[in-house]
Amino acid sequence: MVNHMIPSTLEEALSIIQDGTYMILAGGTDLMVQHRSAAQTPPRFKKNVCYINHIKELNYIVTDETSLHIGALTTLETMVHSNLVPKLLKDVISDIASPGIRNLATLAGNICNASPAGDTLVYLYAVDASVCLQSIHQKRIIPIQEFIIGPRKTIIKPDEIMTEIIIPNRHDEYQKWVKVGPRKADAISKVSLIGLATCQDDTIVDFRMAWGAVYQTVLRKPDIEKQIIGTKTRDLYKIQDHIINAYDPWIQPIDDQRSTKVYRKKVAINLLIDFIASIGKE
Amino acid sequence: MKDISKSIPKVDNPEKLSGRARYVSDYEIPGLYYAKTLRSIYPYANFHVNKPSLPEGYYIIDASHLPYKNVVKMIEEDWKVFADQEVNYIGEPILLVIGQDQEVIQNILSQIEVIYEPKQPTFDQGHVVITKSYQKGDPKRAFDDADQIIEERFETGYQEQAYIEPQGMIAYPETDDKITLIGSIQCPYYVKNAVLEALGYDDKNVRVIQPAVGGAFGGKEEFPSMIACQLAVAVHHLHVPIKMIYEREEDMISTTKRHPSYITIQAAIKNNHITAFKTHVSINGGAYIGLSSVVLSRAMLAATSAYTITNLDVTGDVYLTHTVPTGAFRGFGAPQMIFAVDMMIEHLAKRLKIDSLTFRMSHLAKQNDLTSTSGLFRDPIIMPKMVEKAIKMSDYIEKSKRYHHPLSYQGIGMSFFLHGCGFTGSGEAEHIHAKVKLIKDEKDDVYIEVATVDMGQGQLTTLKKIVEHVLDRQDIHVIYEGADTDDVPDSGPTVASRTTMIVGGLLARAALKLKQSWKSHEKMEIIESYVQPEYMKWNEEKLQGDAYPAYSWGVNVVEVEVNPITYEVNLKHIWSVYDIGKVIDVRLALGQADGGIAQGVAFGYLEKMDVREGKVIHKNFTDYIIPTSKDVCPTETIFMDNPYALGPYGAKGLGELTLVGGAPAVALAIEMAIKKPIHKIPATPEMIMELIEHED
Amino acid sequence: MKIKCVLNNQIIEHDTDPSRRLLDVLRDELHLKGTKEGCGEGECGACAILLDGHIAHSCLMPFAHVKDRKITTIEGFSKTPQYHVIEEAMIEEGGSQCGICSPGMILAAQSLLTQNPHPTEDEVREALTGNLCRCTGYNMIIKAIVRAAKRGEGLW
Repeated sequence: MVNHMIPSTLEEALSIIQDGTYMILAGGTDLMVQHRSAAQTPPRFKKNVCYINHIKELNYIVTDETSLHIGALTTLETMVHSNLVPKLLKDVISDIASPGIRNLATLAGNICNASPAGDTLVYLYAVDASVCLQSIHQKRIIPIQEFIIGPRKTIIKPDEIMTEIIIPNRHDEYQKWVKVGPRKADAISKVSLIGLATCQDDTIVDFRMAWGAVYQTVLRKPDIEKQIIGTKTRDLYKIQDHIINAYDPWIQPIDDQRSTKVYRKKVAINLLIDFIASIGKE
Repeated sequence: MKDISKSIPKVDNPEKLSGRARYVSDYEIPGLYYAKTLRSIYPYANFHVNKPSLPEGYYIIDASHLPYKNVVKMIEEDWKVFADQEVNYIGEPILLVIGQDQEVIQNILSQIEVIYEPKQPTFDQGHVVITKSYQKGDPKRAFDDADQIIEERFETGYQEQAYIEPQGMIAYPETDDKITLIGSIQCPYYVKNAVLEALGYDDKNVRVIQPAVGGAFGGKEEFPSMIACQLAVAVHHLHVPIKMIYEREEDMISTTKRHPSYITIQAAIKNNHITAFKTHVSINGGAYIGLSSVVLSRAMLAATSAYTITNLDVTGDVYLTHTVPTGAFRGFGAPQMIFAVDMMIEHLAKRLKIDSLTFRMSHLAKQNDLTSTSGLFRDPIIMPKMVEKAIKMSDYIEKSKRYHHPLSYQGIGMSFFLHGCGFTGSGEAEHIHAKVKLIKDEKDDVYIEVATVDMGQGQLTTLKKIVEHVLDRQDIHVIYEGADTDDVPDSGPTVASRTTMIVGGLLARAALKLKQSWKSHEKMEIIESYVQPEYMKWNEEKLQGDAYPAYSWGVNVVEVEVNPITYEVNLKHIWSVYDIGKVIDVRLALGQADGGIAQGVAFGYLEKMDVREGKVIHKNFTDYIIPTSKDVCPTETIFMDNPYALGPYGAKGLGELTLVGGAPAVALAIEMAIKKPIHKIPATPEMIMELIEHED
Repeated sequence: MKIKCVLNNQIIEHDTDPSRRLLDVLRDELHLKGTKEGCGEGECGACAILLDGHIAHSCLMPFAHVKDRKITTIEGFSKTPQYHVIEEAMIEEGGSQCGICSPGMILAAQSLLTQNPHPTEDEVREALTGNLCRCTGYNMIIKAIVRAAKRGEGLW
């Protein structure tokens, strides 16, 4: 017999969950499917459930001089319609699931689910986002790369709630989001890519690349990116093979019901080449 | 007298749009019990069940409860109501747990211990159970005389009907000795007859009622008979109402789907013309034969599709594997063969360096040609006009030239096809004996009593329209409610594109008789029975003669663009031209055209169901990919009249025609885009990548 | 647990397991059968309802979700003038065949038009991505919604 609690404030929620026996349920779009039982029966939750969906104070989108702050209960669809959310992130979110799911799902929930194919995660890794975790005792801010440690594994503690996602303000000259799925909508990614680059005086001053669904977590290699920064755009083609060879051993997709590793690898590399080729053009 | 083709509002729109329509799952019955199925987890094994002690009010029903026969009556009677000591596929039903609380039922299911002794399953093509063959002309001579012999091999995969309403049924004791069933079904009398056979009941003691049906596409043709027998057996013992609705995954892993096929075509070429085909088709029947024999027949009969090939040697077989049994799905064997034939025609033209359109036209069937089975194409064939129209609509020739450019990733593909209307061969005359009834009461209301089912195709509207048009009276009401076997005669199943042509045809004749003998304010009843057209001569054993009373024809053109970076296929536009004799309602026909081509094209490039070691891998809507609103493209469809003398107002069959040509059209478009030949569908991006990147 | 919400414009307080799917509460406990189950995993949209006017899949929502929220099912929506405009357009364009997806499609249309009264065809297509249809091939449904938007000037 599990307990069901529906707190109205964050303080209430943190108090409820401090014994570590509660599962946090926000939008529920992942958890209700993962725990589902037969039709006409309630889901089989193994832990007590704290439904945080009614904590209004966690539903916000605000900016300050350095970052965009997204409250944990902001739905994906709210983000798509907000003037404060960068277009690239809106493009990513628009490719996720469908309106009926996006009206329930939260960015926080998406992050805590930590799927290797998670589309928002690819963006968040590329822009060095962080998350804020709160328990009744403390508040900590963790970079996303440290928050997710493996497929569906995060470092969130049983007495913590993710309260906010922090996205640094950026301006990238070249921005690319590609989602490769089995169909044009409502699909889980086979491969996905975020590419960001900025040039100054025909030289690359910033370069970031992140892939989804080709590794245990989002794949981003800042040390390879550093090797590209400083290159003149007209010399990019000279180092293209070097870049591919550097990334190649890290792109380790699997065969599963959605696709094959050879396809995913080939497309991941194709997307890299295509992004590099677009830098310095137009 | 207005043109019947002119659209009228679909009669069931108000209740369907407002959510008031009652599908089987919506029925609430006092004292209802639920049933859930325990299924095999091994593809091939002996088993016995250790049943736990059950709480009060919960029951297990299995093979031991069958009062008469453990058989689900289908064409071949090898399906069992419940597995009995041996299972032959993962998902095969072993027993039902019945009770009033679904959570308790789930608990009981998890406590039941099934002891399996696994045996070595068969997954390859080794276990052949049916073979058929027919010939035309002198194929041996044609091959001996040939300038060239070219052989190609084709492969098609599973396709899941994916009706949005899952399978489901209710059975309840209407009286002490009568059982009534309400089900999401296509064939009320198939269900009734199956229950009669399994229970050994008298005809008057089983009743089948058809509610609103949320899509079927053949998936609810024979399969529901099994659910019906299971529930009827349970009601026979327990005398309570019982409802069983399948979960989506359960439906996907355990119900019938399209037969995967291997097709080899050898062509004899003489003077740049095909003089013979030697064709072999192998279809995977899964664990049980069911109606695979008829699917095989239809596939074999489609061996020349819309073309005339003078000499034929056509063989086919059904092989069984320890996998989910395959069954009826819109097209019923024809989509597989039509894919192979049109790819072959196009590939042959390429090899012979002849313009493919010219090559196609030079083989196109003409009136008075012999069909594949040496019957006759008696009726006018307007394909040349249809092809001309399709080319104009799509700008096929110009685009073809442009897209053949080596750097273009665009493609345009065309398919020519036919579909035999009605049950294959002697089915109507020898097995179905369709009957329809019109009843007129004292108020002069006319009731249509037929056993065919509206599953979305709109026959509640079209059949009513036919009767109203014939009666041509403003002052009366024609009423057509769903089928109830207590009231309606057996008009045959809602399959094989026969409803409008055969059942509608019978209703037109009945309505004419009613009109001519009309007695105001008097009760009247007209029954009309199917009579096989005189000209049809069919030898089922030799597969020779007139396989179908009439043929509908089609041309599809599909334009695509392939993404060279991701190998994804983007559908740009689809154009179709169809000859279905006479359109009974334009809007409904266009709806069938849009829905059919979406399914047919998806069969060619999108829908993939793998079965590995007997396990269905793609078993829910997340993994089995059907088109969403963004995956379809603009369509343009034209129907050209070519009235068939024996169809109501000249109508022929429509339901399957609009699916069967989609796969080759899209596959040929992709071929043109990627400059590589395709032999296997679905042509997924993974496959396209392999074709482009790996030179064979 | 007693949970209060507004259902089809009426305030209700319903006592049930808060984790029970809204879909099951609607169909089995509140006897509203217009919302359908097609897949149970949020893919097909047959279970769609309006949550504060926005489309949401009720098979994914624990009943706890609806606390103090406004829920509209097809039963409630079909009494509105907006429904009648959409219904008429669906009839004229042939947007319904077997009908099982129709309530969900209609609520998806309402959700879209509330936010965007003059959608392009592409925007309509996008709004329907969570509603699967196997019968129509979608184009007639999309035409119907575009037509309804044009006709229903002032309603949205």
